[in-house]
Amino acid sequence: MAELLIENLHKRFGPVKAIEDVNIRVADGEFVTLLGPSGCGKSTTLGAIAGLDQPTSGRIRVGNKTYFDGDKAIFLPPEARNCGLVFQSYALWPHMTVYDNVVFPLKLRRVSTADCKRRVEESLALVEMERFQDRYPHQLSGGQQQRVALARTLVYQPEILLLDEPLSNLDAKLRDRARTWLAELRTRLGLTTIYVTHDQVEALALSDRIVVMNGGRISQIGAPQEIYTRPADSFVADFIGTTNFLNGEVVGAPGGDGQTLVSLSDGQRVLIKSDKRPSLGDKVTFAYRPEQMRLATPNDPAIGGSIIEADVVSHSYVGGRWQVGLNVGGNQIRIETQDATTDRQLRLWLPLTGGILFTERTHGKSH
Amino acid sequence: MSLDASTTLAPAADALPKPLPGRDTVIQYGMALLTVVLIAAPLLPVLYQSMLDRALYDSGQQFTLSNFGRLFHTDGFGLVIWNTFVFATLTTLISQTLGTLAAVLFGRTDMPFARLFGELFLWPIYLSALVLSFGWYTIYGPAGYLTLLMQSIFDGAPWNLYSLPGMAMIAGVSQAPVAYIYCMSSASITDPTLEEAARVAGAGTLRTLSRITLPLLLPAIAYSAVLNFTVGLELLAIPLVFGDPAGITVLTTFLYNNGVASARPDHGLVATAAVLMFAVVCVLVWLQGRLLGNTRRFVTLGGKATRPRPFRLNRLRWPLCVFSAIYITATVVMPIGALLLRAFTSLLSPMVPITDVLTFSNFASMLEYPVYPRSIWNSFIVSTLGGAVATAMVGLIAIIVLRSDFRWRAPLHYVALFPRAVPGVVAGIGFFYAFALVPGLGGLRNTIWILVAAFTMHFIPVGLGAVAPMLLQMSPDFDRAARTQGADWWTTSRRIVLPLLRPALVACFIILFITFFKEYTTAIFLFAPGSEVIGTTLLQAWTQGEVGLVSALATVQVMVIGICVTAARAFLGVKLYG
Repeated sequence: MAELLIENLHKRFGPVKAIEDVNIRVADGEFVTLLGPSGCGKSTTLGAIAGLDQPTSGRIRVGNKTYFDGDKAIFLPPEARNCGLVFQSYALWPHMTVYDNVVFPLKLRRVSTADCKRRVEESLALVEMERFQDRYPHQLSGGQQQRVALARTLVYQPEILLLDEPLSNLDAKLRDRARTWLAELRTRLGLTTIYVTHDQVEALALSDRIVVMNGGRISQIGAPQEIYTRPADSFVADFIGTTNFLNGEVVGAPGGDGQTLVSLSDGQRVLIKSDKRPSLGDKVTFAYRPEQMRLATPNDPAIGGSIIEADVVSHSYVGGRWQVGLNVGGNQIRIETQDATTDRQLRLWLPLTGGILFTERTHGKSH
Repeated sequence: MSLDASTTLAPAADALPKPLPGRDTVIQYGMALLTVVLIAAPLLPVLYQSMLDRALYDSGQQFTLSNFGRLFHTDGFGLVIWNTFVFATLTTLISQTLGTLAAVLFGRTDMPFARLFGELFLWPIYLSALVLSFGWYTIYGPAGYLTLLMQSIFDGAPWNLYSLPGMAMIAGVSQAPVAYIYCMSSASITDPTLEEAARVAGAGTLRTLSRITLPLLLPAIAYSAVLNFTVGLELLAIPLVFGDPAGITVLTTFLYNNGVASARPDHGLVATAAVLMFAVVCVLVWLQGRLLGNTRRFVTLGGKATRPRPFRLNRLRWPLCVFSAIYITATVVMPIGALLLRAFTSLLSPMVPITDVLTFSNFASMLEYPVYPRSIWNSFIVSTLGGAVATAMVGLIAIIVLRSDFRWRAPLHYVALFPRAVPGVVAGIGFFYAFALVPGLGGLRNTIWILVAAFTMHFIPVGLGAVAPMLLQMSPDFDRAARTQGADWWTTSRRIVLPLLRPALVACFIILFITFFKEYTTAIFLFAPGSEVIGTTLLQAWTQGEVGLVSALATVQVMVIGICVTAARAFLGVKLYG
């Protein structure tokens, strides 16, 4: 168990920059998730920590052991790092039984036979797989394979635990249960853990901190709540949770109260309070979570927010509630309502505070 | 999945595994060096000899380029080149036509017995061209069964095997399976909806065939055409059996006659001709690579394992079936059957009832001379031990090239595939020189180990072809998991990769066993009294005119290979060729 330090890490494949200037410090016992869409560089970063990919430049250190240093030409091969890596595919060796799979790393460490047996049993007990020692991997379900893969990694008590989308091959129900189980396990083991996923729910539920990556760079590092409520840019806002984006132009620059008046492309106006201070005429994007918006009643006064008109473009039942797709001056947004509606037009209430203002322009998610 | 709070892991301080430092590097460099030496062994001496004014084992050699001039001024060498070209071209034309027709007819139509015909059509590839030649001789030769039958009815037979078209016919039949296999595997990865789309659009069977199916097969046809042209250039057996008596010389028989059969071989000339042949084949192999690289234009998307719907032949079903049956009988079943039958008779003729001539005397006389049982025994040893050695080597090369961070793995891959460009005759001559040149190797020269070395070198690409696909399909996570847990490359290979690769290694061994068992081209340049193999004694017996003995020996070879192929396919599920 140790602290992990990644500094100025770069990795290029020819002209393609897979990761660019990645800096992460993970404290001893901390659980940090690398989150991002496919191709964002999260798996490359994980491979660099494990020693499966050689970075182009930068430094990686765990505890007082330098794994990689581009300047000093240090590159420890994976077998000299003592990392624990659980693969997305689990990578259980199909020609070995569960016992043989789990005992393999202990045999490499020349642990005595009696100790081997005890520790394999302990490790399998930890993942509740002790009854399956003599099975072959193909005789296990996906969830069971995943737990054996974890036991095989935990049995030799690695310096740090690396998890590469371990839940992505499970079906939805099993994934929920495995997530709860993993959260319990991590609290008890207290291992320094790097978790890679593209699933924001997993990231929010499990992590001490989340590293959101995009296009090989880090977009934001922060605790789950911070990432959700105060996304650093529109990419993070879009990637974490469902977000509705509106594009507009500043027609009333913020005064002392921090309130900005924005005009949408169809001329409707929205008032938003933010700590950002755009100037008059700036193109801006602002974002609301669906739960922050609500339908306005016909005579609703616009107290504590703004009311805008929106065209209904789609309408679908999603179980227990309705999802309504709206068009506001060319911006596609989505809200959820309790009741069905037959109206072609709706009035929407937007809060004054809570929305997030971005001064860079974005198109948001297209629905 | 709640956790019992008492279960947790006791802290443990394991020493990190300490692999022997540099072990991976030693194994990888050692294997790379061995491969380079084995592959360069026959090539460098040939190149060296081609630039010397006298035999390379004599003293006082001078470097010279005069050999090239001398070769082209040798009487009849122009004719040799022309014959070689005509023979290879005709062979290619025949094999591509037959192979493509068979692939469409047996693979894509609702013709009765299509699968059975497909199996029989492949048989020539399991046998050596030498055995097939003897089979054809027994049926279509001057005293062949059908020739005599035709003579008794008409005034003579309309065929003559002792001519370029006759030889090309046998070679074409023997190589048609290659075209067939390439067309079949191309057809099996073609998206069947491409054809269905054409039919839905209103195209009939013939139009779909000619506008969709055949154009999609073009890359396979082109690639296997270059392959078969190369084989046509390298083929020794058929020109030796039928060309030589008729005075038709091609490049391989030129090399054989001047290098092995001659009392005072002109090594400068032989080596130069070998270099010439090697150069031409190099160009052809390069062309194969280019053709494979350019096939993207024809790549068909989808590639699902669905079987395309067979074309309906309607009224043509049975006529085509009868036609196919006649073809298969005439080219494969009858020649092989007659050869086997000839082994158990004193002669084979339509004038004599078969019951009068049945005998075991051919096998009895085969056992009388020690050279024949010895050659059979040697063939077994060379194929078993040599096949095992070669499989081990191929396995190691494959994991180094495809599953290691060895610095020179790409060049090693290239080198390991290079023997494709080395014709068997060139490899034979080259090893002959190498063992004459290097002091200390003389002791091995009259043993079967020189054959093992030569066969291994010549067939490394064949072995890699059997092993590489499975290795490429195997998830790299298996090795990565072992590496992160503390296993070095060699431990990972030994405990994880090679055990997982076992089915491919078994298939590789069986393919190499069969290939070594039927190989004769390289061997006839290298064998010595005591190290004969079936291929060489077959030719010896043939030269002595012992047709009964030849048939008996060929029967042994056909039987052993037949048992191997059947057993491998039935019990091990090994896919041999295609």
